[in-house]
Amino acid sequence: MTIRLDAVTVRFQERMILENLSLSLSEKRIGLIGDNGSGKSTFARLLNGLILPDQGTVTVAGLDTKKDGAKVRSRVGFLFQNPDNQIVMPTVAEDLALGLKPLKLQAAAQQEKVEDALGRFGISHLADRSAHLLSGGEKQLVALAGVMICNPDVLICDEPTTLLDRRNASSVLEKINALECQVIFVTHHLEHLENFDRVLWIERGHIQEDGVPQDVIKAYGASFQ
Amino acid sequence: MIVGLFVPGESLIHRLSASRKLLALALLSASLVMLGGVGSLSAAAFLVGALFIWGAGLGGARLWCTTRPLLIWLLLIVAAQLWLGSIETAMKVSLRLIALVWAASLVTLTTKLSDMSDAIVGLVQPLERFGVSPQRVAFLIALTIRLIPAMLEIVKEVREAQRARGIERSVITSFVPVITRVLKQADELSAALTARGFERWDVPG
Repeated sequence: MTIRLDAVTVRFQERMILENLSLSLSEKRIGLIGDNGSGKSTFARLLNGLILPDQGTVTVAGLDTKKDGAKVRSRVGFLFQNPDNQIVMPTVAEDLALGLKPLKLQAAAQQEKVEDALGRFGISHLADRSAHLLSGGEKQLVALAGVMICNPDVLICDEPTTLLDRRNASSVLEKINALECQVIFVTHHLEHLENFDRVLWIERGHIQEDGVPQDVIKAYGASFQ
Repeated sequence: MIVGLFVPGESLIHRLSASRKLLALALLSASLVMLGGVGSLSAAAFLVGALFIWGAGLGGARLWCTTRPLLIWLLLIVAAQLWLGSIETAMKVSLRLIALVWAASLVTLTTKLSDMSDAIVGLVQPLERFGVSPQRVAFLIALTIRLIPAMLEIVKEVREAQRARGIERSVITSFVPVITRVLKQADELSAALTARGFERWDVPG
Protein backbone atom coordinates (compact mmCIF):
# COMPACT_ATOMS: atom_id res chain seq x y z
CA MET A 1 0.00 0.00 0.00
CA THR A 2 1.24 3.48 -0.78
CA ILE A 3 1.39 6.30 1.75
CA ARG A 4 2.08 9.66 0.17
CA LEU A 5 3.20 12.91 1.77
CA ASP A 6 2.89 16.07 -0.31
CA ALA A 7 4.62 19.24 0.92
CA VAL A 8 3.85 18.35 4.54
CA THR A 9 4.69 20.79 7.31
CA VAL A 10 3.94 20.34 11.01
CA ARG A 11 4.50 23.05 13.62
CA PHE A 12 4.07 23.00 17.35
CA GLN A 13 3.37 26.56 18.46
CA GLU A 14 6.28 28.45 16.87
CA ARG A 15 8.53 25.43 16.55
CA MET A 16 8.90 23.67 13.20
CA ILE A 17 8.68 19.89 13.73
CA LEU A 18 8.57 18.69 10.11
CA GLU A 19 9.17 20.99 7.13
CA ASN A 20 7.94 20.59 3.59
CA LEU A 21 8.27 16.81 3.30
CA SER A 22 7.26 15.11 0.07
CA LEU A 23 7.76 11.40 -0.35
CA SER A 24 6.03 8.14 -1.07
CA LEU A 25 6.22 5.00 1.10
CA SER A 26 5.34 1.70 -0.52
CA GLU A 27 8.14 -0.73 0.45
CA LYS A 28 7.22 -3.63 2.71
CA ARG A 29 9.78 -2.83 5.41
CA ILE A 30 10.67 0.80 6.09
CA GLY A 31 12.85 1.97 8.97
CA LEU A 32 12.87 5.43 10.51
CA ILE A 33 15.89 6.66 12.47
CA GLY A 34 17.07 9.93 13.97
CA ASP A 35 17.97 11.67 17.20
CA ASN A 36 15.51 12.37 20.02
CA GLY A 37 13.37 15.33 19.04
CA SER A 38 14.18 15.00 15.34
CA GLY A 39 10.50 14.51 14.40
CA LYS A 40 10.35 10.69 14.03
CA SER A 41 7.34 10.17 16.26
CA THR A 42 5.50 13.09 14.70
CA PHE A 43 6.26 11.61 11.27
CA ALA A 44 4.94 8.22 12.40
CA ARG A 45 1.76 9.74 13.84
CA LEU A 46 1.15 11.66 10.61
CA LEU A 47 0.86 8.40 8.71
CA ASN A 48 -2.35 7.29 10.43
CA GLY A 49 -3.80 10.71 11.09
CA LEU A 50 -3.07 10.88 14.82
CA ILE A 51 -1.38 14.17 13.94
CA LEU A 52 -2.64 16.23 11.02
CA PRO A 53 -0.34 18.38 8.88
CA ASP A 54 -0.52 22.16 9.21
CA GLN A 55 0.27 22.37 5.51
CA GLY A 56 0.23 19.76 2.77
CA THR A 57 -1.53 16.42 2.63
CA VAL A 58 -0.95 12.85 3.75
CA THR A 59 -2.82 10.15 1.84
CA VAL A 60 -3.01 6.44 2.56
CA ALA A 61 -4.13 4.39 -0.46
CA GLY A 62 -5.71 7.59 -1.73
CA LEU A 63 -7.50 8.41 1.56
CA ASP A 64 -6.69 11.83 3.00
CA THR A 65 -5.87 11.63 6.71
CA LYS A 66 -7.63 14.97 7.26
CA LYS A 67 -10.92 13.92 5.67
CA ASP A 68 -10.94 10.16 6.23
CA GLY A 69 -9.02 9.78 9.47
CA ALA A 70 -11.15 6.93 10.85
CA LYS A 71 -10.95 4.96 7.58
CA VAL A 72 -7.19 5.48 7.45
CA ARG A 73 -6.78 4.22 11.00
CA SER A 74 -8.81 1.10 10.20
CA ARG A 75 -6.09 0.26 7.64
CA VAL A 76 -3.02 1.54 9.47
CA GLY A 77 -2.29 0.02 12.89
CA PHE A 78 -0.03 1.71 15.41
CA LEU A 79 2.15 0.09 18.07
CA PHE A 80 3.30 2.52 20.77
CA GLN A 81 6.52 2.52 22.74
CA ASN A 82 4.82 1.97 26.09
CA PRO A 83 2.26 -0.86 25.97
CA ASP A 84 0.78 0.33 29.27
CA ASN A 85 -0.73 3.22 27.38
CA GLN A 86 -2.09 1.00 24.65
CA ILE A 87 -3.67 -1.81 26.65
CA VAL A 88 -6.93 -0.40 27.92
CA MET A 89 -8.94 -3.37 29.16
CA PRO A 90 -8.29 -5.25 32.40
CA THR A 91 -7.59 -8.70 30.94
CA VAL A 92 -5.66 -9.75 27.85
CA ALA A 93 -8.59 -11.42 26.03
CA GLU A 94 -10.85 -8.45 26.73
CA ASP A 95 -8.25 -6.07 25.36
CA LEU A 96 -7.91 -8.03 22.14
CA ALA A 97 -11.68 -8.11 21.77
CA LEU A 98 -11.76 -4.33 22.08
CA GLY A 99 -10.16 -3.86 18.66
CA LEU A 100 -12.98 -5.86 17.07
CA LYS A 101 -15.75 -3.60 18.38
CA PRO A 102 -16.14 -1.62 15.14
CA LEU A 103 -16.84 -4.89 13.32
CA LYS A 104 -19.83 -5.63 15.60
CA LEU A 105 -19.27 -9.39 15.38
CA GLN A 106 -21.36 -12.08 17.05
CA ALA A 107 -19.89 -13.28 20.36
CA ALA A 108 -18.74 -16.64 18.92
CA ALA A 109 -17.03 -15.06 15.90
CA GLN A 110 -15.34 -12.51 18.15
CA GLN A 111 -14.15 -15.23 20.52
CA GLU A 112 -12.75 -17.21 17.59
CA LYS A 113 -10.79 -14.21 16.32
CA VAL A 114 -9.45 -13.48 19.81
CA GLU A 115 -8.31 -17.07 20.27
CA ASP A 116 -6.71 -17.05 16.85
CA ALA A 117 -4.78 -13.86 17.62
CA LEU A 118 -3.73 -15.16 21.05
CA GLY A 119 -2.38 -18.30 19.39
CA ARG A 120 -0.68 -16.42 16.55
CA PHE A 121 1.33 -14.32 18.99
CA GLY A 122 1.98 -17.14 21.46
CA ILE A 123 0.05 -15.60 24.33
CA SER A 124 -2.90 -18.01 24.70
CA HIS A 125 -1.78 -18.79 28.25
CA LEU A 126 -2.22 -15.12 29.18
CA ALA A 127 -5.84 -14.82 27.98
CA ASP A 128 -7.47 -14.32 31.38
CA ARG A 129 -4.52 -12.66 33.09
CA SER A 130 -4.69 -9.06 34.31
CA ALA A 131 -2.84 -6.97 31.74
CA HIS A 132 -1.13 -4.79 34.34
CA LEU A 133 0.50 -7.82 35.97
CA LEU A 134 2.34 -8.98 32.83
CA SER A 135 6.03 -8.48 32.10
CA GLY A 136 7.09 -5.72 29.68
CA GLY A 137 7.66 -8.18 26.84
CA GLU A 138 4.32 -9.89 27.40
CA LYS A 139 2.56 -6.53 27.47
CA GLN A 140 4.14 -5.50 24.16
CA LEU A 141 3.06 -8.80 22.58
CA VAL A 142 -0.48 -8.20 23.86
CA ALA A 143 -0.41 -4.68 22.42
CA LEU A 144 0.85 -6.05 19.10
CA ALA A 145 -1.83 -8.74 19.02
CA GLY A 146 -4.43 -6.08 19.88
CA VAL A 147 -3.43 -4.10 16.80
CA MET A 148 -2.97 -7.05 14.43
CA ILE A 149 -6.33 -8.65 15.31
CA CYS A 150 -7.87 -6.00 13.03
CA ASN A 151 -5.64 -7.11 10.12
CA PRO A 152 -4.31 -3.67 9.16
CA ASP A 153 -2.53 -3.24 5.80
CA VAL A 154 0.24 -1.26 7.47
CA LEU A 155 1.72 -1.44 10.96
CA ILE A 156 3.56 1.56 12.33
CA CYS A 157 5.84 0.75 15.26
CA ASP A 158 7.05 3.69 17.34
CA GLU A 159 10.12 2.35 19.19
CA PRO A 160 8.29 -0.74 20.47
CA THR A 161 11.43 -2.37 21.88
CA THR A 162 12.95 0.63 23.65
CA LEU A 163 11.57 -0.31 27.08
CA LEU A 164 12.40 -4.02 26.73
CA ASP A 165 15.41 -6.13 27.61
CA ARG A 166 17.24 -7.91 24.77
CA ARG A 167 15.40 -11.21 25.16
CA ASN A 168 11.94 -9.62 25.13
CA ALA A 169 12.93 -7.17 22.40
CA SER A 170 14.06 -10.07 20.26
CA SER A 171 10.80 -11.94 20.88
CA VAL A 172 8.70 -8.90 19.87
CA LEU A 173 10.90 -8.25 16.82
CA GLU A 174 10.60 -11.84 15.69
CA LYS A 175 6.80 -11.51 15.67
CA ILE A 176 6.92 -8.17 13.84
CA ASN A 177 9.36 -9.47 11.23
CA ALA A 178 7.06 -12.43 10.54
CA LEU A 179 4.09 -10.18 9.72
CA GLU A 180 2.78 -10.20 6.17
CA CYS A 181 1.72 -6.55 6.20
CA GLN A 182 3.78 -3.47 5.43
CA VAL A 183 5.77 -2.29 8.48
CA ILE A 184 7.13 1.17 9.24
CA PHE A 185 9.50 0.87 12.17
CA VAL A 186 10.84 3.76 14.24
CA THR A 187 13.89 2.81 16.30
CA HIS A 188 17.23 3.78 17.79
CA HIS A 189 18.42 0.18 17.43
CA LEU A 190 20.00 0.35 14.00
CA GLU A 191 20.75 -3.39 13.90
CA HIS A 192 17.01 -4.09 13.76
CA LEU A 193 16.84 -2.50 10.32
CA GLU A 194 19.59 -4.42 8.54
CA ASN A 195 17.19 -6.49 6.43
CA PHE A 196 14.75 -3.68 5.72
CA ASP A 197 13.99 -2.46 2.19
CA ARG A 198 14.41 1.22 2.95
CA VAL A 199 15.53 3.48 5.80
CA LEU A 200 14.79 7.17 6.33
CA TRP A 201 16.99 9.32 8.57
CA ILE A 202 15.11 12.32 9.91
CA GLU A 203 17.13 15.25 11.22
CA ARG A 204 15.55 18.45 12.56
CA GLY A 205 12.34 17.94 10.64
CA HIS A 206 13.95 17.09 7.30
CA ILE A 207 14.80 13.84 5.56
CA GLN A 208 18.58 13.78 5.85
CA GLU A 209 19.11 10.46 4.05
CA ASP A 210 16.77 8.05 2.30
CA GLY A 211 17.96 4.75 0.86
CA VAL A 212 19.00 1.18 1.57
CA PRO A 213 19.81 0.42 5.24
CA GLN A 214 23.58 0.01 4.80
CA ASP A 215 24.05 3.48 3.28
CA VAL A 216 21.68 5.38 5.58
CA ILE A 217 22.91 3.71 8.77
CA LYS A 218 26.53 4.35 7.74
CA ALA A 219 25.79 8.04 7.10
CA TYR A 220 23.91 8.35 10.39
CA GLY A 221 26.74 6.66 12.29
CA ALA A 222 29.30 8.99 10.67
CA SER A 223 27.31 12.07 11.76
CA PHE A 224 28.26 11.65 15.43
CA GLN A 225 31.87 10.54 15.05
CA MET B 1 -11.98 -5.30 45.72
CA ILE B 2 -12.00 -3.83 42.23
CA VAL B 3 -8.33 -4.41 41.54
CA GLY B 4 -8.74 -8.16 42.12
CA LEU B 5 -11.02 -8.43 39.07
CA PHE B 6 -12.23 -11.65 37.52
CA VAL B 7 -11.15 -14.96 39.02
CA PRO B 8 -11.71 -17.79 36.52
CA GLY B 9 -13.86 -20.67 37.72
CA GLU B 10 -16.53 -23.18 36.75
CA SER B 11 -19.02 -22.65 39.58
CA LEU B 12 -22.73 -22.05 38.98
CA ILE B 13 -22.21 -18.44 40.10
CA HIS B 14 -19.48 -18.01 37.47
CA ARG B 15 -21.80 -19.37 34.80
CA LEU B 16 -24.76 -17.14 35.67
CA SER B 17 -25.21 -14.23 33.26
CA ALA B 18 -23.91 -10.84 34.35
CA SER B 19 -27.36 -9.26 34.13
CA ARG B 20 -28.84 -11.91 36.46
CA LYS B 21 -26.03 -11.38 38.93
CA LEU B 22 -26.54 -7.60 38.84
CA LEU B 23 -30.29 -8.09 39.32
CA ALA B 24 -29.67 -10.44 42.25
CA LEU B 25 -27.28 -7.90 43.75
CA ALA B 26 -29.91 -5.16 43.44
CA LEU B 27 -32.57 -7.38 45.07
CA LEU B 28 -30.23 -8.38 47.86
CA SER B 29 -29.35 -4.73 48.51
CA ALA B 30 -33.04 -3.84 48.76
CA SER B 31 -33.70 -6.83 51.04
CA LEU B 32 -30.83 -5.89 53.33
CA VAL B 33 -32.34 -2.45 53.82
CA MET B 34 -35.69 -4.02 54.69
CA LEU B 35 -34.36 -6.72 57.01
CA GLY B 36 -34.70 -5.42 60.56
CA GLY B 37 -33.25 -7.97 62.94
CA VAL B 38 -29.66 -8.70 63.86
CA GLY B 39 -30.41 -12.41 63.46
CA SER B 40 -31.74 -12.14 59.90
CA LEU B 41 -28.92 -9.78 58.87
CA SER B 42 -26.35 -12.20 60.36
CA ALA B 43 -27.96 -15.03 58.41
CA ALA B 44 -27.83 -12.97 55.20
CA ALA B 45 -24.17 -12.10 55.74
CA PHE B 46 -23.38 -15.74 56.52
CA LEU B 47 -25.20 -16.88 53.38
CA VAL B 48 -23.31 -14.40 51.17
CA GLY B 49 -20.02 -15.39 52.84
CA ALA B 50 -20.78 -19.08 52.26
CA LEU B 51 -21.60 -18.42 48.61
CA PHE B 52 -18.35 -16.49 48.29
CA ILE B 53 -16.12 -19.14 49.91
CA TRP B 54 -17.76 -22.39 48.84
CA GLY B 55 -20.41 -21.53 46.27
CA ALA B 56 -18.01 -19.70 43.95
CA GLY B 57 -14.91 -21.42 45.34
CA LEU B 58 -13.17 -18.10 45.96
CA GLY B 59 -11.91 -19.18 49.38
CA GLY B 60 -11.60 -17.64 52.82
CA ALA B 61 -8.32 -15.85 52.11
CA ARG B 62 -9.87 -13.83 49.30
CA LEU B 63 -12.88 -13.04 51.51
CA TRP B 64 -10.49 -11.69 54.13
CA CYS B 65 -8.73 -9.56 51.46
CA THR B 66 -12.12 -8.14 50.54
CA THR B 67 -13.04 -7.46 54.16
CA ARG B 68 -9.72 -5.99 55.35
CA PRO B 69 -10.07 -2.54 53.72
CA LEU B 70 -13.53 -2.31 55.30
CA LEU B 71 -12.33 -2.64 58.86
CA ILE B 72 -11.40 0.99 59.36
CA TRP B 73 -14.82 2.09 58.07
CA LEU B 74 -16.59 -0.46 60.22
CA LEU B 75 -14.71 0.83 63.23
CA LEU B 76 -15.77 4.40 62.48
CA ILE B 77 -19.38 3.39 61.84
CA VAL B 78 -19.57 1.34 65.03
CA ALA B 79 -18.06 4.20 67.03
CA ALA B 80 -20.50 6.71 65.53
CA GLN B 81 -23.50 4.42 66.08
CA LEU B 82 -22.50 3.64 69.65
CA TRP B 83 -22.27 7.36 70.30
CA LEU B 84 -25.48 8.32 68.51
CA GLY B 85 -27.58 5.15 68.78
CA SER B 86 -27.21 1.72 70.34
CA ILE B 87 -25.07 -1.39 70.04
CA GLU B 88 -27.90 -3.08 68.13
CA THR B 89 -27.96 -0.33 65.48
CA ALA B 90 -24.17 -0.51 65.21
CA MET B 91 -24.37 -4.27 64.60
CA LYS B 92 -27.16 -3.92 62.02
CA VAL B 93 -25.32 -1.25 60.04
CA SER B 94 -22.07 -3.23 60.13
CA LEU B 95 -23.75 -6.47 59.04
CA ARG B 96 -25.53 -4.72 56.16
CA LEU B 97 -22.29 -3.18 54.97
CA ILE B 98 -20.36 -6.45 55.22
CA ALA B 99 -23.04 -8.41 53.35
CA LEU B 100 -23.24 -5.76 50.63
CA VAL B 101 -19.50 -5.55 50.07
CA TRP B 102 -19.16 -9.34 50.03
CA ALA B 103 -22.03 -9.63 47.54
CA ALA B 104 -20.63 -6.89 45.29
CA SER B 105 -17.20 -8.55 45.39
CA LEU B 106 -18.76 -11.91 44.61
CA VAL B 107 -20.31 -10.42 41.46
CA THR B 108 -17.09 -8.60 40.49
CA LEU B 109 -14.84 -11.61 41.01
CA THR B 110 -17.04 -14.10 39.17
CA THR B 111 -17.93 -11.93 36.17
CA LYS B 112 -15.68 -11.05 33.26
CA LEU B 113 -15.56 -7.34 32.75
CA SER B 114 -16.56 -7.76 29.11
CA ASP B 115 -19.74 -9.59 30.25
CA MET B 116 -20.35 -6.87 32.81
CA SER B 117 -19.90 -4.25 30.08
CA ASP B 118 -22.44 -6.03 27.87
CA ALA B 119 -24.91 -6.12 30.76
CA ILE B 120 -24.35 -2.42 31.41
CA VAL B 121 -24.88 -1.69 27.70
CA GLY B 122 -28.29 -3.39 28.02
CA LEU B 123 -29.16 -1.38 31.14
CA VAL B 124 -28.12 1.95 29.60
CA GLN B 125 -29.77 1.19 26.23
CA PRO B 126 -32.99 3.14 27.03
CA LEU B 127 -30.90 6.28 27.46
CA GLU B 128 -29.65 6.04 23.88
CA ARG B 129 -32.59 8.17 22.64
CA PHE B 130 -31.25 10.99 24.83
CA GLY B 131 -27.87 10.85 23.10
CA VAL B 132 -26.11 8.60 25.65
CA SER B 133 -23.92 5.96 24.01
CA PRO B 134 -24.27 2.68 25.98
CA GLN B 135 -21.00 1.32 24.53
CA ARG B 136 -19.10 4.34 25.67
CA VAL B 137 -20.61 4.24 29.18
CA ALA B 138 -19.64 0.56 29.50
CA PHE B 139 -16.17 1.26 28.14
CA LEU B 140 -15.69 4.16 30.52
CA ILE B 141 -16.40 1.88 33.48
CA ALA B 142 -14.02 -0.80 32.17
CA LEU B 143 -11.29 1.75 31.47
CA THR B 144 -11.63 3.27 34.93
CA ILE B 145 -11.16 -0.15 36.51
CA ARG B 146 -8.17 -0.86 34.25
CA LEU B 147 -6.51 2.43 35.17
CA ILE B 148 -6.66 2.02 38.95
CA PRO B 149 -3.56 -0.23 39.13
CA ALA B 150 -1.79 1.96 36.55
CA MET B 151 -2.37 5.07 38.68
CA LEU B 152 -1.28 3.25 41.84
CA GLU B 153 1.90 2.21 40.01
CA ILE B 154 2.66 5.83 39.11
CA VAL B 155 2.17 6.92 42.73
CA LYS B 156 4.41 4.06 43.91
CA GLU B 157 7.19 4.92 41.44
CA VAL B 158 7.09 8.62 42.32
CA ARG B 159 7.17 7.80 46.04
CA GLU B 160 10.16 5.50 45.50
CA ALA B 161 11.98 8.19 43.55
CA GLN B 162 11.27 10.70 46.32
CA ARG B 163 12.44 8.32 49.03
CA ALA B 164 15.62 7.63 47.05
CA ARG B 165 16.29 11.36 47.31
CA GLY B 166 15.66 11.37 51.05
CA ILE B 167 12.10 12.73 51.02
CA GLU B 168 10.20 10.23 53.12
CA ARG B 169 6.67 11.63 53.16
CA SER B 170 5.61 14.72 51.31
CA VAL B 171 2.33 15.07 49.47
CA ILE B 172 3.45 18.39 47.98
CA THR B 173 6.63 17.07 46.34
CA SER B 174 4.80 14.00 45.02
CA PHE B 175 1.88 15.96 43.63
CA VAL B 176 3.58 17.59 40.62
CA PRO B 177 5.35 14.48 39.24
CA VAL B 178 2.26 12.32 39.77
CA ILE B 179 -0.04 14.80 38.02
CA THR B 180 2.49 15.34 35.20
CA ARG B 181 2.77 11.61 34.55
CA VAL B 182 -0.97 11.05 34.81
CA LEU B 183 -1.63 13.81 32.27
CA LYS B 184 1.06 12.45 29.93
CA GLN B 185 -0.42 8.99 30.22
CA ALA B 186 -3.91 10.36 29.54
CA ASP B 187 -2.57 12.04 26.40
CA GLU B 188 -0.93 8.84 25.15
CA LEU B 189 -3.96 6.77 26.07
CA SER B 190 -6.14 9.10 24.06
CA ALA B 191 -3.84 8.68 21.03
CA ALA B 192 -3.85 4.90 21.49
CA LEU B 193 -7.65 4.79 21.66
CA THR B 194 -7.91 6.84 18.48
CA ALA B 195 -5.38 4.55 16.79
CA ARG B 196 -7.45 1.53 17.84
CA GLY B 197 -10.64 2.88 16.28
CA PHE B 198 -12.51 4.28 19.31
CA GLU B 199 -14.22 6.82 17.06
CA ARG B 200 -15.74 4.00 14.94
CA TRP B 201 -17.49 2.16 17.77
CA ASP B 202 -20.82 3.83 17.27
CA VAL B 203 -20.79 3.72 13.49
CA PRO B 204 -23.63 1.43 12.38
CA GLY B 205 -22.64 -1.65 10.37
